[in-house]
Amino acid sequence: MLALDRVSKTYPNGVQALARFSAEIRQGEIVAIIGGSGCGKSTLLRAIAGLDRASSGTVTLDNEAIAAPHAKIGIIFQEPRLLPWLSVADNIGFGLADGPATERREKVARALERVGLAEKAQAWPRELSGGQAQRVAIARALVPQPEVLLLDEPFSALDAFTRRDLQDHLLDLWADTRPTLILVTHDVDEAVVLADRVLVMRPRPGRLFDQIEINLGRPRDRNAPLFENFKRSVLTSLDRSLDRNVPDRDATQGPGQAMWW
Amino acid sequence: MISDARVLQQTTEPAESAAAPSWLSRYGRPLLGVLLPLTLALGWEFLVWRGWSNGRLVPPPSRVFATIVDLARSGELVRHIAATLWRVGLGFAFGVVAGTLLGAISGYWSLARRLLDPTVQALRAIPSLAWVPLFILWLGIFETSKIALIAVGVFFPVYLGVMGAILIVDRKIVEVGRTFRLSGPAMIRRILLPAVLPAYVVSLRVGLGLGWMFVVAAELIGASEGLGYLLLDGQQLGKPAQILAAIVIFAILGKLTDGLIEIAAAPFLRWQDAFGRTTGA
Repeated sequence: MLALDRVSKTYPNGVQALARFSAEIRQGEIVAIIGGSGCGKSTLLRAIAGLDRASSGTVTLDNEAIAAPHAKIGIIFQEPRLLPWLSVADNIGFGLADGPATERREKVARALERVGLAEKAQAWPRELSGGQAQRVAIARALVPQPEVLLLDEPFSALDAFTRRDLQDHLLDLWADTRPTLILVTHDVDEAVVLADRVLVMRPRPGRLFDQIEINLGRPRDRNAPLFENFKRSVLTSLDRSLDRNVPDRDATQGPGQAMWW
Repeated sequence: MISDARVLQQTTEPAESAAAPSWLSRYGRPLLGVLLPLTLALGWEFLVWRGWSNGRLVPPPSRVFATIVDLARSGELVRHIAATLWRVGLGFAFGVVAGTLLGAISGYWSLARRLLDPTVQALRAIPSLAWVPLFILWLGIFETSKIALIAVGVFFPVYLGVMGAILIVDRKIVEVGRTFRLSGPAMIRRILLPAVLPAYVVSLRVGLGLGWMFVVAAELIGASEGLGYLLLDGQQLGKPAQILAAIVIFAILGKLTDGLIEIAAAPFLRWQDAFGRTTGA
């Protein structure tokens, strides 16, 4: 279990990005974090990853405090961040430097197969499309079999079709080993498709505002009426978190509001 | 996945048509660059041959070539080339080692940069030839002062290149190394070194160019052998053909050694997604 206990972060310039954020996330749970810009959701993710230390409060994974990057925690960024001088296969194997070579090769080959890029094994990253590159990044993060995988707006730079493909693909990969997924996103649709639970954050300073359980079976139908209902309640909660007037629920939900910025 | 496949098709089609360029564009383009100097040389040769000019101060190519052949036959040429190559090689080696070490320290460690860099930049502002009298006083008139001068010329571009390259390594890629918990040495070997390599190769090539420049200066000051000595000897004895011969050999050697660096570095830089690759230059 991943436990966040009153995690706060104040930057040296005095800006408080995160104030007393507490949550408990079960092993294997998929949690989406959503909120207005400046609500500290990326700060929170970086604290869980051990990339930036919290000013106060603790992050513990299975009772072990996290203060630096940890072998059980993987992260996928908004950009693929592949190493341009390594082939696709070597990029995927980047986190496996310690094991024996044959075992490493096998794991990489299996991962390549799994993300559907076996024929690209020897390609350079520059030869990949945006969606392919992000799939390599996902494979790279999953190959060391982390217990927790953090995703920082992983699909926001992709076009709508590729984004859907990758969301489905991510769930497919998740089912293999069922790591805990913590996903920061701007996209309400994405949060409701992927998450068991959506955490809504409120900005200045960033803190937890609301939690919405998504009690939908999988695979989820993006066009089901129930799916729309969950999207609507996440959107309403978001509006409330920004102290916006929430108008009459039924009158205002056009398709253009599915993407929430 | 369907969208990916479509994108792939679109990008491979134009690549295929570009992979088989016409014979003319493949061999014609480099030849185009040779056209102007070749025409000028042949034109001058023709003018002298017709007797319209005596070619005494500007000897025609045939006479320059004959001088080179004469020098080669007597064994002089090999001796001069060897002396110059030895000086450039040694000066380049010292300059590269010092520039790489100090550049890496300044780039990696910000305290060292604050301590070291202002001094290095101040020294860089001094025209390097201004060191010549001092080096001769300190190190004598023979090889040591020459090699020191060349090393100074090579040092600065290499130092700047290494430091600058380390400073602009993408923080996001360093973070990837951090998330996989690379140790300090592993971070240098697996992230920093490959990331700075392209800029490093450029700085080596600039440094080598300056090395060739400074070897001429060093040999003009006082030498009994070397291509720079051939230049000076040609001036003092009024042999322009010998001067031109030395210049031609300088050009050939400079180009060859630069090409060596390029060839040696090429296998490590195949991954680059650079402008030069797409334009086929």
